[in-house]
Amino acid sequence: MFGEKAVELIKELDRCPTSLPPYNTDLVSEVNNEMRHLIESNQDDARSEEENRSLSGESLLPTIKCRHSAVIRNIRCLLAYHYNRLRVLRTMRWQFGGVLPSDIKQNLSHLEVEWLTKYSNSLAQYMRSVGEEGINLATNLKPPKSLYIEVRCLVNYGKFELNNGIVLLLKKNSRHFLPRSECEELIRQGVLEHLVS
Amino acid sequence: MSLQPSYLPNYFSIDDILASQERIPCTFSVNVQKLGNLNPSSEETDLKAGTALELPLWLVQDLSTGRQPVVIPELPKVYKEGYREILKADASAVDLHKFNLYYFELGSYVRVFDRKSDVADTLIHAFTNRFRQLMDVIDSTEHNPTDFQRMDSLERRLFKESKESRMKLHTWLEHSTTPIETAAMVLNHKKRKRGTDL
Amino acid sequence: MDPEEVEFLGEKENVVIVPTFNYGVIHLIAGDIGPFRAGLPIKVPLWVAINLKQQQTCKIQQPDWMDVENLEVLKENEKNAITFTRMPNEHYMALTKALLKFAPDDLIRANEIRTLVKDIWDIRMSKLRSSVDLLIKEKSSYAAVDNLTILEINSVRPLLPHALDQIHRMKKLQGPQLGTNSSAGHTSSYSFRS
Repeated sequence: MFGEKAVELIKELDRCPTSLPPYNTDLVSEVNNEMRHLIESNQDDARSEEENRSLSGESLLPTIKCRHSAVIRNIRCLLAYHYNRLRVLRTMRWQFGGVLPSDIKQNLSHLEVEWLTKYSNSLAQYMRSVGEEGINLATNLKPPKSLYIEVRCLVNYGKFELNNGIVLLLKKNSRHFLPRSECEELIRQGVLEHLVS
Repeated sequence: MSLQPSYLPNYFSIDDILASQERIPCTFSVNVQKLGNLNPSSEETDLKAGTALELPLWLVQDLSTGRQPVVIPELPKVYKEGYREILKADASAVDLHKFNLYYFELGSYVRVFDRKSDVADTLIHAFTNRFRQLMDVIDSTEHNPTDFQRMDSLERRLFKESKESRMKLHTWLEHSTTPIETAAMVLNHKKRKRGTDL
Repeated sequence: MDPEEVEFLGEKENVVIVPTFNYGVIHLIAGDIGPFRAGLPIKVPLWVAINLKQQQTCKIQQPDWMDVENLEVLKENEKNAITFTRMPNEHYMALTKALLKFAPDDLIRANEIRTLVKDIWDIRMSKLRSSVDLLIKEKSSYAAVDNLTILEINSVRPLLPHALDQIHRMKKLQGPQLGTNSSAGHTSSYSFRS
């Protein structure tokens, strides 16, 4: 049945809406091949239809219609596959910060990696252009309650430099009292844990 | 805070593509050459007029329009009279997933196959009558997986969006301060990594 | 909106404090506060009051409406009325929560206040649930939301507007015979969430 492989791609995305499975190059090229085959068959049939018009016999029009419908469907599935992957990738940029973990990066096609770099650059450029020194849109996603917060480190992160020059060693389970604006990004990335009394 | 529009299917919607993959029973009104392989039970190269098959909705939509339609579709059985009566009687008691996972979406497409019947009315009636149940499941704090299983895709989507919002309100009411949290995707990623490392 | 964001808006509400220090006027973007004179009551936004209280440099005065007798009357009115009654303050939940957390010693009969406010909240929420259900069942297009506070309105988002949108989509399927002019543009409702 036509279009089955293309829908497989969509089903892959539906199975895990918040993460990216590896870019399925094989399936994408299979869908492309199916489309090429359908278009070629249609072109052959259209040509022979022209020649046979004078003869009686059944028209190949329904056949051509069917194949054409399948081609359109495949195009839609391919476009939706790529589009939805990019949307998930965009959300990832906001949630993981500037650098994606390597195992997620492995799942991207090289065009997607390029897109992500360009998107990050556009975002950084935009953030720099607001105000005098720029504004980090990724901070203060929730209304802040206090200037300083208590955090506990969840992994062995290593050295972390604050804006005032002090360097902290972030070891697992160490607790610190830090300015909110500086550690918010690390909390979102899962390196630190915000402790509330 | 981010903008979250309500569900409106567009060209790229995954749900819409999957909904239009559902099979519709139809009959071929003309001979279609060379596409005998569409019929898994026959070995011929051509499809004869009169063959009854179940084809995906997207194909049926294209082939059933125009001055000389290639196929004549009919309503899938879950939208026929008998099933509609069941919904009219008590919509909340129905396991809509069993009818069809994409019941409402498919219904809106399928209704054109039989303009005289009141498929559209049934859809609205079912949705509005099941709403109370949906609201109760969202508000309740206990988690019962069968409730979720009995919903169709549209209700599930509404459920997911509202449940998150409800949980936030609940947390805010119960606890004095809500901490900054790890991003959801980061959490999921870590869980998955831990799972594969074991 | 998140409840935290509504709470943030609520922190702009004014409360009366009695500072224990002297200070001049502070000029802020939102307005001026002060001057502070020890022992003299002064009106400040809630967030300032909380901050000063945490530094132990003021006492917060109980708002007039946050009084046990008054709250009991409000609760009775709410129980008996079919529609929603007017709340003494738009952000009554946020104010109660903040004062109970940071200044319980400044409140008289704090525990009873906590219970009463919670009861009022529960009564209003259950009324809201029934009205939403009725709204959907009747398939009406609008409902009056007089006297609902912003936190309560936010509790039905995104469920109510999204559900109404889906009903609208389905209504359009019924065709033009209902008399509603199905316009060319579709308006979908947007809900803010994070």
